[in-house]
Amino acid sequence: MSYHRNYRHNNDYKADEHRSKGTSRYSQSRKRGSDGNLRTHGDSEPAASGRNTKDHRSTDNRHPSFTTPESQGPVSRIRDWGDEVEADEMRTNVQRDIQRYRRRILTADFAQRERKTSSGSSDSRDSRDSPIPGDIETDEVVLMRRQKQINYGKNTLAYDRYIKEVPKHLRQPGVHPRTPNKFKKYSRRSWDQQIKLWRVKLHAWDPPAQDGHDLQAIEEIDLDDIMDIELDVECSPDPEADAVSPTSNNASSSNDSCTATPSKMMKTDETEMA
Amino acid sequence: MEESKIQSFDEETQKLLKSALKEPNKVDLEILSKAIVDKSMKDIFICKDAGPVCYAIVQTEAKQCNTSVFRRKLLTRLQQEFSAREETRKRSIQEWVCVVTFICNIFDYLKVNNEPMVALVDPIYDCLFRLARPDALLNDEEVNCLVVQLHRVGEQLERMNSQRMDELFYLLRDGFLLQESLSSMTRLQLLEILEFRASGWTLTDTAQHYYYSEVVD
Repeated sequence: MSYHRNYRHNNDYKADEHRSKGTSRYSQSRKRGSDGNLRTHGDSEPAASGRNTKDHRSTDNRHPSFTTPESQGPVSRIRDWGDEVEADEMRTNVQRDIQRYRRRILTADFAQRERKTSSGSSDSRDSRDSPIPGDIETDEVVLMRRQKQINYGKNTLAYDRYIKEVPKHLRQPGVHPRTPNKFKKYSRRSWDQQIKLWRVKLHAWDPPAQDGHDLQAIEEIDLDDIMDIELDVECSPDPEADAVSPTSNNASSSNDSCTATPSKMMKTDETEMA
Repeated sequence: MEESKIQSFDEETQKLLKSALKEPNKVDLEILSKAIVDKSMKDIFICKDAGPVCYAIVQTEAKQCNTSVFRRKLLTRLQQEFSAREETRKRSIQEWVCVVTFICNIFDYLKVNNEPMVALVDPIYDCLFRLARPDALLNDEEVNCLVVQLHRVGEQLERMNSQRMDELFYLLRDGFLLQESLSSMTRLQLLEILEFRASGWTLTDTAQHYYYSEVVD
């Protein structure tokens, strides 16, 4: 059930076909070609234009696998319909999620303010679970990336078994993994770490290994993630180390940054958009 | 509704369809999508039923398995057919017409979060532009396909890219006015579609007849 993304570099499109993307979009709908002549047909380019029509969407000659650190990975210049539709779907889902989330925190926020004024005490869960309505992550690129990471985790057998076994109302913070809240503002590093830890915790629900013991399954799995985490903890106190093994909540190190960080990381916020 | 649509397929495909609608993860969805597309390419009437059937499968799979394998397989196959359309057209006008009809059908029925699939907009325009070329306007089958699809998905297409629709209609108008060897039926159809769009994509009685032309005689 993993998320497949095939970027195929089919040179299926004929040289004279146009896709209205990027700079070609407007040329497609222009009445005249770049040589000034009236276009007789919508789907052919005047021969004299000298444009490279084979791959007209790229204005540079980048290798198809070119990717910047911030982009979502290799982008095929020839679009795959399946990929496009799935990306569209995710985008509209994310947009719908934003609306729902906004409504939800607005009503929650309102309700809590009511309680606050009457009881006079502040609920410590406020600041964590209900960000100021204006202060949520709305950058589509970021939300899409985060949603993809969440999807990777949710597309696992472990997650399936987890949600069947532990209904939401029975979940205990710290014990049960919570899906990181993609709408809260986090640094990239912080977010990636939350995802890592969340996925590691989910492994507790992996289908039984040969010995049939769930805990065994964790230790048998050779995860780079876990290896990194354990090393960070065992090293001498390192202020950079925000990576902590979930099994070492009570870190033997007395370093403040080490003990403080785990509890902060553990309480990952969850927005289950049902 | 689906029951009658399913009946238009052959026995074997029907069986696959019925199982897919009950338990999508027990069926090889790649084989199913191939069967549906193969059958649709051969028969224009099946093309029209394929849309709602495919939609039903996609919905079922999404609800029960939370995956979209069928849709992906279907789109991949459609994309291949689209890429090979010029060869297909040379080989058989009927098949080419089925390709266009099928893609438009899918565009019409398979909505994503209630929105049409953006990925299909340009390919459909490409097909319609091809159908509006002088050599295609000489064939009744192609003209028929062109006007039927415009009736069906024209408004949605225009909403998603009005510039290309404008250009397409320049072609149609020029064809109607300037092309000499058109049959009178073709001229009538072109005139009708020009009026149809001009009145805001409203169905006239004549258009109604063409749009619901699947009445079995």
